Amino acid sequence: MKSVLQHTKIQRFILSSLSFILLFTVHLSAQNGDAKKGKGIFNANCAACHKLDKKLIGPALEGISEKRTKEWLHAWIKDNNALRASGDADAIAIYEEFNKMPMTPFPQLSDQDIDDILAYTDNKPEAKPQSGGGASSAAALGIDSLQVVKGKKIFNANCAACHKLDGKLIGPALRNVADRRTADWLKAWIKDNNAFRASGDADAIAVYEENNKMPMTAFPQLSDEDIKAIIAFTSHEDILTAKAPTVAGGGEGNDGIATPKESTSWMTYIVLVVILLLVLWVYLGSKNEFLKLVTTIALLLGAGYAGYAWMMSIGVDQGYKPIQPIAFSHKIHAGDNKIDCQYCHSNAKHSKLSGIPSVNVCMNCHKSISEYNGPVTSEKDKAFYDGEIQKIYKAIGWDSEKLAYIEGYKQKPIQWKRIHNLPDFAYYNHSQHVTVAGLKCQTCHGPVEEMDEVYQYSELTMGWCLDCHKKTDLKLESNEYYTKIHEELSKKYGVEKATVAEMGGRECGKCHY
Amino acid sequence: MKSFIKIITVVSLIATLVSCTGEKRERQIQYMGDTDMYDAVPYEAYSKVKILPNEMEAQRPVAGTVARGKIPYDYPNSEAGYQLAKDSLHSPLQLTKANLDQGKYLFDMYCAICHGTKGDGQGTLVQREKFLGVPNYKDREITEGSIYHVIMYGRNMMGSHASQLEAKERWQVVQYVEHLRNELLK
Repeated sequence: MKSVLQHTKIQRFILSSLSFILLFTVHLSAQNGDAKKGKGIFNANCAACHKLDKKLIGPALEGISEKRTKEWLHAWIKDNNALRASGDADAIAIYEEFNKMPMTPFPQLSDQDIDDILAYTDNKPEAKPQSGGGASSAAALGIDSLQVVKGKKIFNANCAACHKLDGKLIGPALRNVADRRTADWLKAWIKDNNAFRASGDADAIAVYEENNKMPMTAFPQLSDEDIKAIIAFTSHEDILTAKAPTVAGGGEGNDGIATPKESTSWMTYIVLVVILLLVLWVYLGSKNEFLKLVTTIALLLGAGYAGYAWMMSIGVDQGYKPIQPIAFSHKIHAGDNKIDCQYCHSNAKHSKLSGIPSVNVCMNCHKSISEYNGPVTSEKDKAFYDGEIQKIYKAIGWDSEKLAYIEGYKQKPIQWKRIHNLPDFAYYNHSQHVTVAGLKCQTCHGPVEEMDEVYQYSELTMGWCLDCHKKTDLKLESNEYYTKIHEELSKKYGVEKATVAEMGGRECGKCHY
Repeated sequence: MKSFIKIITVVSLIATLVSCTGEKRERQIQYMGDTDMYDAVPYEAYSKVKILPNEMEAQRPVAGTVARGKIPYDYPNSEAGYQLAKDSLHSPLQLTKANLDQGKYLFDMYCAICHGTKGDGQGTLVQREKFLGVPNYKDREITEGSIYHVIMYGRNMMGSHASQLEAKERWQVVQYVEHLRNELLK
């Protein structure tokens, strides 16, 4: 079995190198397009329906000019309907294969534009979306981007089983490992870490101890060049994806926040224990009767206050932050990507409820976004986020390979936990506040766009409602409904602008009936 | 003396509970619970109801019925339907400033995230490379009928936005899209 695999690998290698050479020659002879420009044109015009390496609405386009002639492609892109009407067999076959959906014609693209696009789809090493954008920045930094690309391949083939760039796997995280160790140290370690450890290197022994005394597989087969490429990849992975700098930044930032939080909660425990010991000493160790009396009064007052505070918190869920079935982050969607609240909560403008979006709304974007590419932390890595996106697909029955809904799939509702819930005896209407009053969602819900996990920001008590009603002026602009009644009200109360409370926002029956 | 120690223990326990800084994963207790009109007697919106299909309170209208105030959309979700709508479907709305303003408000909310506030296909999601290939309106032959049809059913990678917009709102958006396209064609 192994030898067979080995054989196909060699074959594949030869084939791929041959095709690489072929591509290169094609590039030299037939194309005079600019791959960089082509990427821009491709993203603006083609990427809605085509990817390089995967079927979307239309077929994958990597290396398309190997399959079709240049003339054919030009004719097809400019006006595929006309080409089909002319009776071209290939054109008709494609149309049939893709559900008889005609492609949008692009008469506005010039011959040069199309050549650029083809240069982009063919020119693999530079043109892949990961490396395309990075090539220029890499050149600016004086880094060999080809080396980084090569390093990525070797890393994925040899290291990725036990290492990630961010976050510990079996072995430690390797991003910027070159900042922590010298190149010679790394070379010695990778080639044969057992021998290196035996030579008595202190760092090597420490790493071994730190990772549960699991020796790493030795890689004597990797050449010096290979190791250099791997190190280049771990140091400069960010040039492959434009977003990567935030990746590293996000991780560090989050870790930084997490630590002080824990220490403050420890501080409160320590203070509590100290107070408890002091009180115990007063009652058991001290002979001072006055001190005992004062302590007793203080304790009684404290108990009274604590009891009162606890009773007042009954039924108030401020800060309630349940674990949701999908780790949907409002920070990513509403904060980073700036999607309007009402894009998903579209009922808020017309209805009592703001509306929990049905899954078809998620799918408006997630049909095409099946992978997470944003910043990650050590707790929530890419695999975690990808898994959360998969949960949507499982709920609605979406086949992300075939890019189609599975027929006859039994859909499973996503059981979100409700956070904001007024008691049944209090009436609240979103449209009244969002559409009529023109309030921002954040007025009551707080900075949701910064919340990874949503929690109840406000108290949602009656006092809290009334406080706002008393100090908020009526919104009269573009609302004739209020014009006359407002005139009467302002006369009655002798004010220029009546508040919501003066309009009746303090009447019991407005909300309790 | 023993009762003092008891008091101390109770007080310190309460103090620990009150000062608890952890995340609230559970709800607070409720006064009198469900006997006190806290919980609704009818089904709450989006709640889990055992006897309904899929155990969901939220159900679609029964097939073949039309909800009050809604107008059914008869053009089929197909290429032929698209062409038909493109040629024969016309807006029932007058071109007014109020409609256009409302169209802009809704466009910025539901469409601009991909299509860009100018309709040039440069929305936030495109600029962040989350969603690629959004066309510029000026490059597409679109009519008010085809715009409405695409809002209803979606097209290519764009999904249907019918569940987020009412019929009138869709026409307002259509009006604004046509306005943007004319601006871009200038």
